[in-house]
Amino acid sequence: MKTLFAPNAQPPRLLFTTMVAGQVALLLLVWLFYPMQLFPSLGEVFRSLGDLITTQGLIQELWASMTTALQALAIATVLALGISYLTALPFFRPIAYAASKMRYLTLTGLTFFMALMVSSGHQVKLSVLIFGATVYLVTGMTSVILTTTQEEMDHARTLGMGEWRSFWEVVVLGKLDEMLEVVRQNFAIIWTMITLVETLYQSEGGIGLLLYKQNRYLHLDGVLAIQLVILATGAAQDYVFVLLRRVFFPYSSLGTA
Amino acid sequence: MTTHTHAYKDPVLTLNGVSMSFNNELVLRDINAQILDITRPKMHQGQVVGFYGRSGIGKSVLCRIMAGLIPPSAGTVEVGLAQQPARPGMVGFVQQRYPLFDHRTLYDNLLVAAERKHAPEVARQHVESYLERFCLAPHHKKYPAHLSGGQRQRAAIAQQLLCSEHLILLDEPFSGLDVAMIDEVKRIIVEVTTMDELNTVIIVSHDIVTTTALADRLWLLGYEHDAAGALVPGATISPQHQYNLAEMGLAWHENVEAEPEFGQFVEHIKNEIRVSA
Repeated sequence: MKTLFAPNAQPPRLLFTTMVAGQVALLLLVWLFYPMQLFPSLGEVFRSLGDLITTQGLIQELWASMTTALQALAIATVLALGISYLTALPFFRPIAYAASKMRYLTLTGLTFFMALMVSSGHQVKLSVLIFGATVYLVTGMTSVILTTTQEEMDHARTLGMGEWRSFWEVVVLGKLDEMLEVVRQNFAIIWTMITLVETLYQSEGGIGLLLYKQNRYLHLDGVLAIQLVILATGAAQDYVFVLLRRVFFPYSSLGTA
Repeated sequence: MTTHTHAYKDPVLTLNGVSMSFNNELVLRDINAQILDITRPKMHQGQVVGFYGRSGIGKSVLCRIMAGLIPPSAGTVEVGLAQQPARPGMVGFVQQRYPLFDHRTLYDNLLVAAERKHAPEVARQHVESYLERFCLAPHHKKYPAHLSGGQRQRAAIAQQLLCSEHLILLDEPFSGLDVAMIDEVKRIIVEVTTMDELNTVIIVSHDIVTTTALADRLWLLGYEHDAAGALVPGATISPQHQYNLAEMGLAWHENVEAEPEFGQFVEHIKNEIRVSA
C-alpha cells in the first residue's frame, strides 16, 4: 500500500489494478447515492443512452463524426508533417511560425471565410477541422523537431551522411514515434472542434449536432450520455495510438522511466 | 623503460595553424600538429595519439574541427595519405555519450554505417565480422536503449570504424567510467590499432594517466603567457608541449603505468599544466 503514495514508486500490477477498480467503484457509488438534484442519476443517463441509440441514431451519428474526424486528422497530419519538416529550410520557417500562431484564431470567424472558398457544407466542415488540427499539429511537431541536438546531427554527419540524409535519418526516421505521439495528443482537439462545427453546419448531422439538441432542450441526462460516449471513443482511440506506437516503434518506450 | 624499434612514414592527419573564434572570442590559437604513420617490424602498428587539455579549454571544438564538422577560423586540417581537407565522414568521431541511432537495432546501426562505404552484400559481411570482433554478436537484435554502457561504447566505435578512412577520434572516452570500463576501452583501442597498419586513434581527453598510457604521441593544450606575464587568449600547443612517447620509451608497454619513468612523466605533465593555468 505504501508504494501507492511513494514518489516515483512502481506498485505491483495487481495492487495497481485493484486501486483503479476501487477508484471507479467509488466514483459510481458517489454518483448513485449523492443526492444532487441538478446532476442526472446513473440510471437516467443509461436510459437516455439507450434512447439515443435506438431512436436518435447515436451510433450512426458517432460514425459520421468519427469518419470526418479521421479524414481531417489524416489530411492535417500530412500537411503538418510537410510544414514542420520544411523548417529545415530557412525559407519556410516563417510559414511554420505563422501556422503555429494561427491556433489563436477562432473557428467561428474562420467558417465564414471557408464557406466563401469551398462549395458544400461537408467541405466547409472538413476544411475548418483540417485547418484547426493542422495549426495545433504544426506547433507540436516543430517543437519535437527543435529537440534535435547537435550531437545527433553530428553523429549522422560523421558517418558520411549529407545534410538531407542526416535530416532524414535523425529528424524524420528518428522522431516518427514522437510525431505519432503529437498526433495522438492533438486528436482530442478535433473532437472539441467537431462538435462546434457540426452545430454550425447541421445538414450532415453528427454527434455534435445531437449534443447541441440535447443541450438546447436541457436534457442533461442525454448530454452526459453523449459526453461519456465521446470520452469512451477518445479513450479507445488513445489506446489504438499507443498500440500502433508499440507495434511500429518498439524502441520508443525503452528509454522511459 | 624499453624503446621499441619503430619508424615514421607518411602523415595521416595534419593540423596547420588552426585557430578558432566564436563571437570574436579566441578559443583555439595557431595549433600545429602532425600525426605520422608509425611502423614497427613484423606487426601491424596503428597510431594512438593523445590531445590533453583541461576541462573547458576547447577540446570538443578541436574535435569538431578535426572531424570536419566545423571549419576553423584560420588554418587547415588535412587527413589521409592524400592529405585532403577534412570533411564530415572522413574521420570517425565517437562523441562523449556514444550516440547511436535509437530507432535502429544494433545490427542496423552498423549496417547503415557500412553501407556508406560498401555495396550491400559486402556491407553485411563487414557488419557480421565487426559484431564478432567487438563481442556484440549476441546483442545484434537489441535497440541501443537495451545495451549496457560498455556494449554501447563498442557499438559506437565499431559504427565509426565501419565507414571512416582509418582515422577515429574519441572525445573524452574515459569520462565517468569505472576502472573495469576504462580497461575495456583501453582494450578496444589497442585492438583497433592492431587491426590495420593505418588505423589511427586520436584520444582527446582530460584523463592524463590513461591517455598517456595508451598514446605513442601526446600534445598538451594550454595557454601561453606574454613577455609581461599576462595570459595570451586562445589555447594552443607550445613546441615544448609536444611529446613523442615512442621515442621516450613509454609507448606500447603492457603495464606502463607501473614504471617509475611513467610516473615521473605524468608528474612533469601535471606541473606543466599548473604552470600554464
